[in-house]
Amino acid sequence: MTVPQPSFKERAAAALSDGALKIAIDRTTGTAERKRAAALATFPEFDAARAKGKAIKNHVIAHLDHYLEMFERNATAAGAQVHWATDDAEARAIVTRICLDANAKLVTRSKSMLGEEIGLPHALADAGIERVETDLAEHIIQLAGERPSHIVWPAMHRTREQVANLFRTGHNPPPAAEDPGTMVQSARRELRAKFLAADIGISGANFLVADTGATCTVTNEGNAELTTTPPRIHIVTAGIEKLVPSTAHAFALLRLLVRSATGGEMTQYTTFHHGPRRPGDADGPEEMHIVLVDNGRTRMLADEFREMLRCIRCGACMNHCVVYRQIGGHAYGGTYPGPMGAVLTPVLDGLAPSRDLAQACTMNGRCAEVCPVGIPLPTLLRAWRRRSWRERLEPGSVRAGIGLWAMLARRPALYRLASRIGVRALRLLGRRGWISRLPLAGGWTAYRDMPRPSGRTFMEQYRAEQARREGGR
Amino acid sequence: MTARDRILSAIRNSLGPRRPDPDAIAAEAAALLADPQVTRPPLAAPDLAEAFALKAMALGTTIDHVPDMAAVPAALRRYLADHGLPGVALQPAAELAALDWDGTAIHTDIAADEAAGLGLARWGIAESGSLVIHSGSDNPILLSFLPLHHILVLRRNDLLPHLEDYAAAMQGRAQPRNAILITGPSGTTDIEGSYVRGAHGPGFLHVLLVGP
Repeated sequence: MTVPQPSFKERAAAALSDGALKIAIDRTTGTAERKRAAALATFPEFDAARAKGKAIKNHVIAHLDHYLEMFERNATAAGAQVHWATDDAEARAIVTRICLDANAKLVTRSKSMLGEEIGLPHALADAGIERVETDLAEHIIQLAGERPSHIVWPAMHRTREQVANLFRTGHNPPPAAEDPGTMVQSARRELRAKFLAADIGISGANFLVADTGATCTVTNEGNAELTTTPPRIHIVTAGIEKLVPSTAHAFALLRLLVRSATGGEMTQYTTFHHGPRRPGDADGPEEMHIVLVDNGRTRMLADEFREMLRCIRCGACMNHCVVYRQIGGHAYGGTYPGPMGAVLTPVLDGLAPSRDLAQACTMNGRCAEVCPVGIPLPTLLRAWRRRSWRERLEPGSVRAGIGLWAMLARRPALYRLASRIGVRALRLLGRRGWISRLPLAGGWTAYRDMPRPSGRTFMEQYRAEQARREGGR
Repeated sequence: MTARDRILSAIRNSLGPRRPDPDAIAAEAAALLADPQVTRPPLAAPDLAEAFALKAMALGTTIDHVPDMAAVPAALRRYLADHGLPGVALQPAAELAALDWDGTAIHTDIAADEAAGLGLARWGIAESGSLVIHSGSDNPILLSFLPLHHILVLRRNDLLPHLEDYAAAMQGRAQPRNAILITGPSGTTDIEGSYVRGAHGPGFLHVLLVGP
């Protein structure tokens, strides 16, 4: 897994020069932004609902041990087997062990970001088990050999023309045309036999309902139920922050989740799973396993990142992020992209390799504005910047530059002198009204021009203005 | 120490010293559900059936009004004929078996590429146009997912106003293995955000709304 990776700046530069990617991102995030706005226009109670949603999540987080034990008790009573994993390696080992013990050859999987987070696709491949992704977008990226680039639309970086190319070689027979309708039909045909032949179905969970012991998935395609019903065994992998006290609490959050994610009011299928097949049941798996995964979440509980445990994975923050919309999800380098990913990736992968993510933020605050559970994402990104500084992770040149600036900022007379020299120098550089090259700041000017400054500092202009007013009195 | 112990003790260390009182926690959780009308959308119409129909049809669900259960087979035959469907997989429920199916091509096996399936909805939810199904000995879940055309019988008396009313109706009752709220035909927006119906589940959802 430790292939040398290009740096964030290299990944971002590659994404910025990919014209097809820009088109693909604009098509999906643009639609998502419009549909969310339309859904909220007909739901004036949204702000009150958001306050309630935030309070529900805070309540669960404040009593997380209580609700975990309650969930375990009720899920066990319903016949499910509950497993606990402190990290991704333990979670992978538990799932792989269940698959190997069952002598599973074919596993179907319905989309779960937690599954990506713990590296389930690789673990199954390493164990020699055939994995079939059944969500259409996951099917597309499985054919492409890629990771998700968005938590709701994992294949949003692919244009329809690119999907058609993948299906032409990946489907037998290939789809007859390139329109989305024909390609969806082709995937339906291609995957139907796999659903019915699978030994094990693996899903995630949008909610874990403490008082019934149910796991809840919300999906649109119907692939989740076709994944969890025919196989002998159903495995759920879920983060411990997914708990809600009861079904009614889940509904309160569901109203926020769906509108924020897709602009719909309800997903087509909101499904509660209580344990395995009951005696006499017409269908359903004989075993149900639920793997509760910590993987950094209890660490977040201890500091300011506790607020991030409210996240319900709707993706609104990335749909509205000016940075995400330029570079797409893969450039972030982690499981989760966009603002929520920039907060979570340092928790999961460590701050040293991911410190650039918190820096790649304009602090425009759109993410926090649209977040359905009121997570102060810019504040949390600033917390990572502070921590990165404290841990001395910035390169020497950055530290020296900021050190120099701090030295000047503490000496007002010197600072004004430096600014006077600075604006005049900048004015000389920008001969035609714009500055397109700057010494020591090539990374900035490679992608954008800066307007030529006026040639006088703010303080100079302020003094001149004051003198003018006093003179006129 | 097991992983379970490590996770629970990490949580307790992080949350700090507390004396958790289950009754106080339950009261706090219940208080979070007070005044649900403040945080949910109003119904699309004052009449439950009308509100349900408005929401359901907006999602592409079609609705046929049927006076009583005895009229269900004829309404079903009309739908099958309109769509050129050869027959229908019938949910093995006593209430459906009791109807007169003479002249309707019904079967119980559900084929992998089943054309049509008919089942009973337990409840309808007016707020969202959703239909609730429960798994059981008389209801295979695959009946709602393998067919291209999914037809559900819903009695007007089983309409509930809001999502919370379904949670309340199930309070204290035995939970089925699967409880599913079905809201419109299967769909996807995974290719460039374009909406396509009939992804893996049914491409058509038809409701026979029974009652005067």
